[in-house]
Amino acid sequence: MSVLIILLIPLVATALVCIPLKRAWPMAVTVVANAALLVLTTNIAWRLAAGGPFVSAPPVWMLKWISVDGLGALIVLLISLVATTAAIFSIGYLGHENLAPGKLRLYYANYNLFIFSMVAIPVLAEPTLVWIVVELTTLCSALLVSFDNTTEALEASWKYVLLSLLGAGFALFGFLVLFAAMQASGSSQPYTWSGLIAAAPRMPPVLLQTAFVFILVGLGTKVGLVPMHTWLPDAHSQAPSPVCALLSGVETTAILYVILRMFPVMQAAPNSHADAWAILLGLISVGTAAFLLLQVSDYKRMFAFSTVEHMGVILTAVGLGTSAASYGAMQQIVAHSVTKSFCFFAAGATLLVVGTREIAAVRSLIRRSPAAGAALVLGGLAITGAPPLAVFLSEFSILKAGVTQSRYIVTGLLAVFIVIAFFGIMLHVNRIVFGASDEDRTDGLEDKPIDGKKHPDTPSQQSNNPIIQQSVNPIPLSCKLALVLASVPVLLLGVYIPKPLHDLLALAAGALTK
Amino acid sequence: MFNRILFNLIQVLVVMAFAPLVSGILSRLKEMVQSKRGPSIFQPYRDLWKLFHKDEIVSEESSWIFRFTPYIVFVAPIFVTLLIPVLTNYPLFFAFMGDMLGGGFVLALGGFFATLAAIDTANPYGPVGASRTRMVGFLAEPVFMIVFFTVSFVAGSTIPYIVQAKWVTPMANFFAPSHVLLVLAFLMLILAEGGRIPVDNPSGHFELAMIDESKALEYSGRGFALMKWGGQMKMLVLMCIFLNVLVTPWGLAGNQTLGGLHLLPPVAGPDLRVAAVLLAVPLVALKVFCFLLVLVVIESSLAKLRLFRISEFLGAAFVTSVAAMIAQVFLP
Amino acid sequence: MSGATGQLLENLNALAGGLFLLAAFGMVATRQARGCLNLFITQSLLLAASAALLGLRYGSEHLYGVAVVNLISKPIIVPWLLRKTSPGEVYTRREVEQVLNIPTSLLIALALVVLAYFLGRPISNSVASQFRGPNIAIGIAGLLLGAYTLTVRREALPLLLGVLAMENGAFFTGIAISRNLPMLVELAIATDGLIVVFIMGVLTRAVQKHAGTTAVGELATLKEAAAESPAQAAKEEALAK
Repeated sequence: MSVLIILLIPLVATALVCIPLKRAWPMAVTVVANAALLVLTTNIAWRLAAGGPFVSAPPVWMLKWISVDGLGALIVLLISLVATTAAIFSIGYLGHENLAPGKLRLYYANYNLFIFSMVAIPVLAEPTLVWIVVELTTLCSALLVSFDNTTEALEASWKYVLLSLLGAGFALFGFLVLFAAMQASGSSQPYTWSGLIAAAPRMPPVLLQTAFVFILVGLGTKVGLVPMHTWLPDAHSQAPSPVCALLSGVETTAILYVILRMFPVMQAAPNSHADAWAILLGLISVGTAAFLLLQVSDYKRMFAFSTVEHMGVILTAVGLGTSAASYGAMQQIVAHSVTKSFCFFAAGATLLVVGTREIAAVRSLIRRSPAAGAALVLGGLAITGAPPLAVFLSEFSILKAGVTQSRYIVTGLLAVFIVIAFFGIMLHVNRIVFGASDEDRTDGLEDKPIDGKKHPDTPSQQSNNPIIQQSVNPIPLSCKLALVLASVPVLLLGVYIPKPLHDLLALAAGALTK
Repeated sequence: MFNRILFNLIQVLVVMAFAPLVSGILSRLKEMVQSKRGPSIFQPYRDLWKLFHKDEIVSEESSWIFRFTPYIVFVAPIFVTLLIPVLTNYPLFFAFMGDMLGGGFVLALGGFFATLAAIDTANPYGPVGASRTRMVGFLAEPVFMIVFFTVSFVAGSTIPYIVQAKWVTPMANFFAPSHVLLVLAFLMLILAEGGRIPVDNPSGHFELAMIDESKALEYSGRGFALMKWGGQMKMLVLMCIFLNVLVTPWGLAGNQTLGGLHLLPPVAGPDLRVAAVLLAVPLVALKVFCFLLVLVVIESSLAKLRLFRISEFLGAAFVTSVAAMIAQVFLP
Repeated sequence: MSGATGQLLENLNALAGGLFLLAAFGMVATRQARGCLNLFITQSLLLAASAALLGLRYGSEHLYGVAVVNLISKPIIVPWLLRKTSPGEVYTRREVEQVLNIPTSLLIALALVVLAYFLGRPISNSVASQFRGPNIAIGIAGLLLGAYTLTVRREALPLLLGVLAMENGAFFTGIAISRNLPMLVELAIATDGLIVVFIMGVLTRAVQKHAGTTAVGELATLKEAAAESPAQAAKEEALAK
């Protein structure tokens, strides 16, 4: 029953925020709703980790397609965690702007719908329904991406919607073929993830392979795997920062989860090459993203590329196929979600302080705003996998799993790309935070008004001029709170994984490997 | 044997006799659509009569090609008439000489000489029209090829008499995608080859915009009459191929039923009765008239395309014909 | 179902498929946005027709449901939603210059159809005979042509219709090979298509308002190192002076 409540909470919250009350109303509703969601999902995850049975809704009508296993619980947990911190961050981020109440309600209504669509992905077990909610994530977040209504934001949003839907079209075909494969296998199982695994050995291999490739390519577009990634840096940099945290931190992960669901099916079928596909696409993604990271000029874009990189790492890890590698992949999913959301909060705080997204225009941030500077450094270190932070631990266990499996080439390439990405990101972060300040640069003052107009992220910037630019906008209290909250798992998971979480990760990894 | 030779001659005579009438009816119908009265439907006959009684002027600069071309243009459609089913659904005496491809080549020969003749005189408008006709021709050629290939792919033959039977046995074949799409593609081809709107405006008198007409600008008297008559016959022959071979063989001797009712007592084997062949004349005329109505609707509702858009029109025809072929391949 | 009627229904279905393919070609090549919309509506009608014919052929009520859903959502609600959400300008737009000229586009489209044939054949070979038919390959062709439309078009409306055409293509295969999908799923997918139209319509309106054009494909400010270019341009301007 609690599964149904999980789905209902965001919907109720959507309805509530539409009631035109005071400005604080939608903010409060969203924070409370997502916190409640977090408590509920933690409860479910806890029970599953303790060895409880799959959580499903009563098997009547369409509710029979709702069920949560370990992997699903892990994703839902991450979504609600990031949704809560992002909701808190939104208060300060949006409160800072003088938005019209209608626009504010629109933001929160979209926000909660977006959360609903994401939460529904791991909760639903019927693949075509999952496809529908995947498409819903795109549609619900499109207006969030274009929220600033600048030409750039609209362009990013359009690209995002168009390419995602392009991918979704291919994925739809894949799922229909998968259904045909299910029928052809003569299985009496229901068309769900577990039913697919049971039917896989008797499916015609051609149908299964076709379905897998179409789903991998189609949903891979939305995950941001490399040949199809072009929209991702645009959308993930132009959206408001809390939305970026959701998009980069959990949306990509949630979609990747759907792809991951296909792996046990493929492994159950004879001679499938799913692992090879995963490693190929994964390595290409990591490699391309690592090199692109070296030449970014926008720090939000930088974190967006880092998302591409991490998705590649996860996919490669899953492609390695052993249970140790799968465990590492699960760890990486958790680490990436918490860290990337923190990074975007840090980037959002920086944006609030300096009012531009350009790396070249921000120098010596640590002097102008120690809090934003420190957060950015921590975020940069954390996302690139510096010890002893969460990503370090997960990447280390993936590399270890690769080496013990004697997959030296794959592991070696992965390690090299991760190191390149480390340098790419830290180079830029270092410049922003500790670089020579504006006063030392001759052209710094000339550039900024132009840039400020080019990237009007907040209304305060629309009246942008060098004098205001120099003054430091304070970071709102709620943003600081969100940063602190988001930093807890980043710091904690690097040194200590609690027993229940470990069990949950093992459970999730177990769902991936046959 | 004698009947088959006779019927062949009847076919030729029918095509020669009715070709001007068809063009007369078409222009009259168009005038009616445009709320004009228009000339009588027999006007083309009067034109031909008048032209045959006029003196012919031939440029001193021109060569033998110019003088011979009218005869070739006139004879080519007659040759094709010998090969195709105009009145019967079984092959006649001369039908062994060529298939649809052969007929296409013979028609193209007439066009080729008309083009040469247009260049032969020093008239500046002739070569303009000739080069444009060639452009349309080049673009139409691949479509013709694909249409014929698809036909042979579906029916296993390019003999028109075998092809026409294919579409109606069984009747479900009539709705096969390859058939309907082929008909569409060939209709577009007729528009292009016959110099009809939207490719060319046959009633235009503005030399710079002409495609087909300008090739005969230098002709006068008997030569012009033959060119005109030949052109009219070519149009009718194309219509016959379209209606009798590609759309349906209905109304031909051997296939004269109306709602399951035989118009003449049925016979076994090819229907060699003279009455059946004579009955086929009005039935085919009815089909041609229906087609003329379609043509008038097309010509009245579309505008002439700009010259460089013609490639897109024929591109569409090409895609349609390829779609016809692909749809056939896609059938399991 | 007697053999002759079955044959007739199959041929009619194949005819719907052939015309479906032709409509997909048309959407690649048509200049006018309005023409593109009409072609899309035709295509949807053909999809519904094919579903109904297959339903009749194999006695599946479920396919009638699909036909009805398609008949209502795409030819009726989609144009209505478009009128409500997107600016009227999108209808009047013409793409005089496409990324590739139209004959080249058509040739590439033909190549894609051949590819669809090679993708469709193994699928067709590995399903039961009652699921075979021209629908599989034609659906894949529709999918690929829709995707191709998305890559060569720049105008908002043809792009949007390209997305829906992809969905049509996927469904055209779907009605043949996975015709027992739960009705709820079909309804949800149709609703989803409408949300696509709504959201993209709203976005188009916003783009038209803020960028002054509906040629969304020509918006290209976001590129790698795009942020540096204004500064560079300013510097170059200063140098030129």
